[in-house]
Amino acid sequence: MANSSFIRIAQVAKEFTAPDGSIIPVVEPLSIDVQEGEFVVFVGPSGCGKTTVMRMVGGLETPSAGDIYLNGKRVEGPNRDKGMVFQSYSSFPWLTVLGNIRFGLKYRDDISADEKERIARHYLDLVGLTPFADYTINRISGGMRQRVAIARTLAANPLVLLMDEPFGALDALSRERLQIQLMDLRRAERKTVIFVTHDVDEAVLLADRIIVFSARPARVLADIAVSATLPEKRSLDILDIPEFRKIRRDVLALIRNEETRMEAAE
Amino acid sequence: MAMPGGEAKGSGEQASGKPIGTKPQGAQAAWRDLIVFRAAPRPRQELWLSIGAFLAVLIVWLIVAESGLVHPQILPSPRAVMAAWWRLFTEADYISDIGISVARVWAAFLASAVIAIPLGILMSGYRAITALFEPIIDFVRYLPVPALVPLTLIWLGIGEGSKVTLLWIGTFFQLILLIADDARRVPKEFIETGRTLGASDTALMKDVLLRAMLPNMVDSLRITLGWCWTYLIVAEIVASSSGIGYELWTARRYGKSPEVFAGILTIGIIGLASDQAIRFLHRRWFRYLH
Repeated sequence: MANSSFIRIAQVAKEFTAPDGSIIPVVEPLSIDVQEGEFVVFVGPSGCGKTTVMRMVGGLETPSAGDIYLNGKRVEGPNRDKGMVFQSYSSFPWLTVLGNIRFGLKYRDDISADEKERIARHYLDLVGLTPFADYTINRISGGMRQRVAIARTLAANPLVLLMDEPFGALDALSRERLQIQLMDLRRAERKTVIFVTHDVDEAVLLADRIIVFSARPARVLADIAVSATLPEKRSLDILDIPEFRKIRRDVLALIRNEETRMEAAE
Repeated sequence: MAMPGGEAKGSGEQASGKPIGTKPQGAQAAWRDLIVFRAAPRPRQELWLSIGAFLAVLIVWLIVAESGLVHPQILPSPRAVMAAWWRLFTEADYISDIGISVARVWAAFLASAVIAIPLGILMSGYRAITALFEPIIDFVRYLPVPALVPLTLIWLGIGEGSKVTLLWIGTFFQLILLIADDARRVPKEFIETGRTLGASDTALMKDVLLRAMLPNMVDSLRITLGWCWTYLIVAEIVASSSGIGYELWTARRYGKSPEVFAGILTIGIIGLASDQAIRFLHRRWFRYLH
């Protein structure tokens, strides 16, 4: 049944049961197709269910209806094919920087120990943390911790990289630096990425495609092909060009409209 | 390369050594921090304060006991207690009493830990195991341990088995819930990270859950070890012919209050020493937390 799309979200819905037994729809049946190598950003009002959609792709939540396919295979649960980077610092404090990145390779039995070491050091270098290889996690900054998490996830060689507001807890400067690094990484690795954020600038800067979600229960409000108007190689200078500002304005208008609608409903 | 660092250190020492007024001021500030709400830690001053409090209790004891206000039968003087200690070690083979008590505590403690750690982790992860064990654990947990003494005597006689079993009952059912709680408190992100990196359930428990909960678990074990000592005395008073508790109870029977005091202090000192030893290991093993 799976068609040629790399990731196929087919009529997927999600509902939660409240403690009083009532059913709360979080995601209305929706379909999204993602092509291999695409960088898709999910934006929407806070609490809209965009993270839930991504977690279902990652196999960390089970859809109440519909199916998700990754590379032609139905998603049944979490595994190494779907790498995840969380907002909170998920690097293991009992391991060093390099130890954390090695952990990404721990459960790969397709490669030798020497190869694992080489890959770990490669990603350590790629995120610019070679001088900090032996530091423990409590001694490095929040931005570095997220770089460790990204390197660890990439080392596991997933088919898709799922990022849940990974820069949300960082200060503005670290966030900018990591956004640039992520764009470089992504160009080098050609990974398929789904990235959840509520920061519209971040969305437009990073995305090939932006999916705008409605307020809860989540529907797809707009599917904007950013790569059609903006160049693939971007820098922070792009924030000033008219095409960027137009997309940004459109997305913000959609989200604001949703938030007004939600407040009116309450 | 080491030059600038060495120079800086040297001049720093000189600077603090030259003006006489500065150092006492720093020390004064350090002492003042002890009574400032949420001030920075001052380990050295805190240690002195703790030692001071301990000595103060000793001095008050000494004064009250030596003044003759209280009958020595009620409150023996520290000198009498020291003498009793000496007698216990030289005449009553106290070392083997301490040895047997420590052995009982550790046997029960290890038996508790060896079962409670894996079972507690499983309880935190599998609802079926929680549903199966939790009602039983909660029931036993509320039973007063001394009430079980007759039962352990009937079942296991007056040998070592009944004492160790009593201690085990007193600690195991508490420890397993502490361990399960420690495991539940491990952030969800750690588990989910493990899963998305390809860890199996067993690997998750071993490589992520156990490692993440380890510092809290060592604390739980430390607290449980303390409880073991409480129950030890109960076990040794009721049915024993050896151990610190037995000596303590025998001394009471003959009205030898200095020996009773010596027994209580012995337990206190062993408890304090093992507690501090585990804290020390905690600081060494889990440097990343400190």
